[in-house]
Amino acid sequence: MQTVAKLIDTTQCIGCKACEVACQEWNDQEFTLGTFNNSYQTMPDLAPNFWNLIKFNEAEQNGAQSWLMAKYQCMHCADAGCIKACPAPGAIIQRANGIVDFEHDACIGCGYCITGCPFDVPRLSSKTKKVYKCSLCSDRVAVGLEPACIKSCPTNCLSFGTRHDLKFLAEKRVSELKSDGFENAAIYDGPGVGGTNVLYVLKHGDKPEQYGLPKDPRIPWTVSLWKGPVKWLGNLVFFGGLFTALVHFLAIGPKEHKHED
Amino acid sequence: MTNGWTDVANADVVLVMGGNPAENHPVGFRFVMEARRKRKAKLVVVDPRFNRTAAVADSYTPMRSGTDIAFLGGIIHHALTNKLYHEEYVKLHTNAAFVVKEGFGFENGHFSGWDNTKGNYDRSSWQYETDASGYARIDPTLENPRCVFQLMKAHYARYTPEAVSNICGCTAEEFTKAADLICSSGKPDKTGTILYALGWTQHSHSVQLIHTAAMMQLLLGNIGRPGGGVNAQRGHANIQGSTDMGSWNNLPGYLKIPRANHATLDDYLKAYTPKPLRPNSLNYWGNTSKFMVSLLKAYYGRHASKENGFGYGNIPKAGETENYGWGHFFDNMQKGQLEGFISFGMNPVANGPNTPKMLDALSKLKWMVVVENFETETAAFWNARKLGEKFYPTYVEASNIQTEVLLLPAACFAEKDGAFVNSSRWLQWKKAALPPPGDAKVDQEIMARIFLKVRELYEKEGGTAPKPLLEMTWDYANPLSPSLEEVAREVNGRDVATNKQLNGFGELKDDGSTVCGNWIYSGSWTEAGNLMARRGQEDPTGLGLYPNWSWSWPANRRILYNRAGADSTGKGWDPQRTPLRWDGTRWIGDTPDYKADAKPEDMGAFIMLPEGVAKLFAADLVEGPFPEHYEPVESPVPNPLHPNVSHNPLAPIFHGPLDKLGEAKDYPYVAITYRLTEHFHYWTKHVASGSQLQTNFFVELPEALANEKGIKGGDLVRVRSARGMVEGPALVTKRIRPLRVAGKTVYQVGIPIHWGFVGRVRGPLVNNLTPSAYDPNAGTPEYKGFLVNVEKV
Amino acid sequence: MKTEMARSRMERFSLAERVSHWLVAISFVYAGLSGTALWSKAMWWTAGVLGGGEMIRAWHPIAGVIFSLLLARLFWMWNRAMRLDAQDREWLKVGHKYAMHMEEGVPESGRFNAGQKSLFWLQSTSATLLFASGIVLWFPELMPRTLRLMAVLVHPIAALASLGGIIVHIYMSTLVVPGAFTAMTRGWVSPEWAKSHHPKWYRETSK
Repeated sequence: MQTVAKLIDTTQCIGCKACEVACQEWNDQEFTLGTFNNSYQTMPDLAPNFWNLIKFNEAEQNGAQSWLMAKYQCMHCADAGCIKACPAPGAIIQRANGIVDFEHDACIGCGYCITGCPFDVPRLSSKTKKVYKCSLCSDRVAVGLEPACIKSCPTNCLSFGTRHDLKFLAEKRVSELKSDGFENAAIYDGPGVGGTNVLYVLKHGDKPEQYGLPKDPRIPWTVSLWKGPVKWLGNLVFFGGLFTALVHFLAIGPKEHKHED
Repeated sequence: MTNGWTDVANADVVLVMGGNPAENHPVGFRFVMEARRKRKAKLVVVDPRFNRTAAVADSYTPMRSGTDIAFLGGIIHHALTNKLYHEEYVKLHTNAAFVVKEGFGFENGHFSGWDNTKGNYDRSSWQYETDASGYARIDPTLENPRCVFQLMKAHYARYTPEAVSNICGCTAEEFTKAADLICSSGKPDKTGTILYALGWTQHSHSVQLIHTAAMMQLLLGNIGRPGGGVNAQRGHANIQGSTDMGSWNNLPGYLKIPRANHATLDDYLKAYTPKPLRPNSLNYWGNTSKFMVSLLKAYYGRHASKENGFGYGNIPKAGETENYGWGHFFDNMQKGQLEGFISFGMNPVANGPNTPKMLDALSKLKWMVVVENFETETAAFWNARKLGEKFYPTYVEASNIQTEVLLLPAACFAEKDGAFVNSSRWLQWKKAALPPPGDAKVDQEIMARIFLKVRELYEKEGGTAPKPLLEMTWDYANPLSPSLEEVAREVNGRDVATNKQLNGFGELKDDGSTVCGNWIYSGSWTEAGNLMARRGQEDPTGLGLYPNWSWSWPANRRILYNRAGADSTGKGWDPQRTPLRWDGTRWIGDTPDYKADAKPEDMGAFIMLPEGVAKLFAADLVEGPFPEHYEPVESPVPNPLHPNVSHNPLAPIFHGPLDKLGEAKDYPYVAITYRLTEHFHYWTKHVASGSQLQTNFFVELPEALANEKGIKGGDLVRVRSARGMVEGPALVTKRIRPLRVAGKTVYQVGIPIHWGFVGRVRGPLVNNLTPSAYDPNAGTPEYKGFLVNVEKV
Repeated sequence: MKTEMARSRMERFSLAERVSHWLVAISFVYAGLSGTALWSKAMWWTAGVLGGGEMIRAWHPIAGVIFSLLLARLFWMWNRAMRLDAQDREWLKVGHKYAMHMEEGVPESGRFNAGQKSLFWLQSTSATLLFASGIVLWFPELMPRTLRLMAVLVHPIAALASLGGIIVHIYMSTLVVPGAFTAMTRGWVSPEWAKSHHPKWYRETSK
């Protein structure tokens, strides 16, 4: 099966938030009220009922005003930090088409995936005690439909297809931008996590932070240590401890206390 | 729109001014993006704010609200002085060569013919010089100093880049850069489009502003061509349809409203049927009698006969100079001249200017019927003192309001079938998605039940003028709730004798043998069926005209004035993008805006106009044949061009107790109102998703102004005008730049609409601030570019 | 008779101490088992034994808090007695001799020997770390990311340290030192036992 992907061409995003609504409606998530934070962005962050956020960032590029808008959601990493961190078998699965999906029946709500995620995406619901994030509409994709956000996008900023095709499209778009004078235009697809199945085209590819994206996403080193060396250390402590006790018992045995006589 | 959304993808230059399609027309905006992707089109944004459209644009130029005519006039000047206009087009398709009467002139802010005591123009000096047979004289060399071209050149000579900068507040360099980009569409193989919306129409000089845009596009040869045109982005799904079907100043199909001095049908037709001004002018409005008689037949059926002027007497006549535009209507209401009011899908308390006046006016009514989806501010107006305490502290207590309010629940758009007419003039038939909830009824049922009940009362009890109601045709299968299919068939029109649907307005007669509810919609439901329901995606021209998708008025024409897209021999200006070409016997392409088998040289391309060509000089508008920069009614500076005639001398301004105007010394900042993509008008604050996407009312302040006042993002600020007040958190941004205007720094303050005193999320009504000043031609209020003061609370 | 009894049975741990110890032990076992399930998929079966993943997610932190509170009580009761003195430090240097049951050169112990004291401090320290990092992990949605990133490392390492100590502790108290288990269950030891294992304590208490 081919790996599917989503392409976000930020140069065509107008921050209309249609994808936010489409996501909540398709996934049957309750609407809440927004907050005011000196921005058009009323939802401060992703939430258990809100898996798709457009971040608005005002910036100046070489003296010219810019207003960058970028959609933010699960990146569906090839090497997914959430899966690495998850203790519950089957709670987070990587489907054959590359979608990283949560199975809420198996999820125990420990929230380790939140810490494991280099993009800080999953969110724990205090109501249901489960963790939620974008599923790339795996239910729609399974029956041949495009994800809800893609369907709702009015400007063709979002596209859906195989990762291979979209990468090609993204490369074409980047070369167009470069020929338009945006020398730093680049694809953003997280090579540090084995590549993400959400690809971005950024006009200012040298500064992904301006779009609210981490500069060089990687699974956090503490998580890697925790799930690697520390585990071996654990085995050593446990089995080593038992083994040492056994040898000690066999070789030296119990301590007899001295008798008076 | 002269062209249409899908056609925007054909443009090389997209000028967005007086609109913000990324914000307010995001779905249509995809065609702008397509033009950029496929044609490398340049997106040029000129706006007071660096807005969502500017965020993805190639060029952004800031400007002061209400100075668009100066900016566009500057472009006209730029095109003329640098020879960037499309000369052949101008000579062939405009009235540039027409010679204007001696005596026409412009001085100190007034055109010739100004009558200071009447406050009005005598327009006789604005007419063309005519020959013995009544045709206008022309000078094809364009050298006659009194020809339109030379007059225009002289008029706009004042609009230098420096003058534009001094008025608009951008730098002269910024202006010139934008002007060069825009004028790059003046080459024959390039086209440029204009997308505008309420940022252009909501001024006290808005119609003249659109006229300036049309002039600019004519000079650049962009009218009638794919990727060209002057394109109004309509704000509601069916506002185009509502305009087409008639509002206060026209009957369906833009037939003029009868006046008291048009006692008979003949008087009316004599007054409103234009005569050709050139021998080769088709002058299609010469057919006015056919349109009008067929309409009267649709209204009065068997009661309409040749003898009684087809029931013309039944149509109410407006006073000779009477104006029933919004401003006058509510002014009359405030003066107690109206007894009752049916507010059908309209929310005047929220969307009328000067909310305190609207509230006052409604309290003078005896009764009001509100037909709505929600309880709106209008339906709850009597409770404004309590619900909007902060904003209306002196408003009448609910217990002292005698107006009886009846709120009728109506079906919403998804619960009705019928046609939406979009900005592209497409009549798109739709189906109801679900039945209306509870007691809500579809519009036509509410209207029919009221109509039949009133008629019944007239029948039983008589009255002053029962005939117009008693003679009205109402032969629908279910009179209590006529199906919209029946109505649509009636609107298309039929032959009375054969009872067959008409194929188009070409078949209309003025002898009473045809019936037609709206001549421009004729052809939408023929014997072939409901063409509005078509969804064919064929694109034979490759220009995205999609002739089999729904039905476009008039005559399924996708690009208006498409004959002007071709030269004198009938060849397209740009061989790649030819909407229409002459193949020796007929015109090929779009439905021709021309006689289908007339040779290219037979007649002028603009068949609707008596001139046969497009008007750079238009005596039809009340404040002058050429657009002139007038300041908004409330302005931070006197008009730099003519300080003594600062604002539009014809703009209706009211002088009631609540119609105050402010001055720059008390209210130093320019305010603009606008919409956000997250909301639809005052509706979606009743809806969960909309309330989440934009929850709080806010005030956008330029960073420099905020710093001056010690205001930080999120601080509560109070904005006052001479009319009222709003309060909300400040959104401090660099996106609104301080401007240098007439030697002083001018700040602009942005205030989104959408909030009110009822709904899931609430906030102040922005129209607490707006003035009772209107455009004299269209009656649109000046919602943009008025004066306010800002203080930290 | 009475004095005879008193002499042959010395009270080693009061009832309060024993109750606390065993509650700590039970909560430790629960937290440990559920913790290993949360820690490694290879140990996930323990989650099944304990009622499923959601159950252990809910109760592991609660058990952790109970463990910490009870341990805090033990700490309050024992921390004075557990202070390491110069002799203890000497003891620790020759700890291997103790492990080999050699008495020569191993300083005499008081109520607790230096090994037990070390275990006490090890458990106290790791429990503190477990508690602090556990709170962070309990409410990930409320905690800053940096803290969470530290906690995922601190929590298992502290747990391992604790586990290592406990393996030694259990082995010693059940298999290596007969009578030690009874001391913690019934609360008494024989004077001989005391004299042999904790001579200093024996001398002090039988004065």
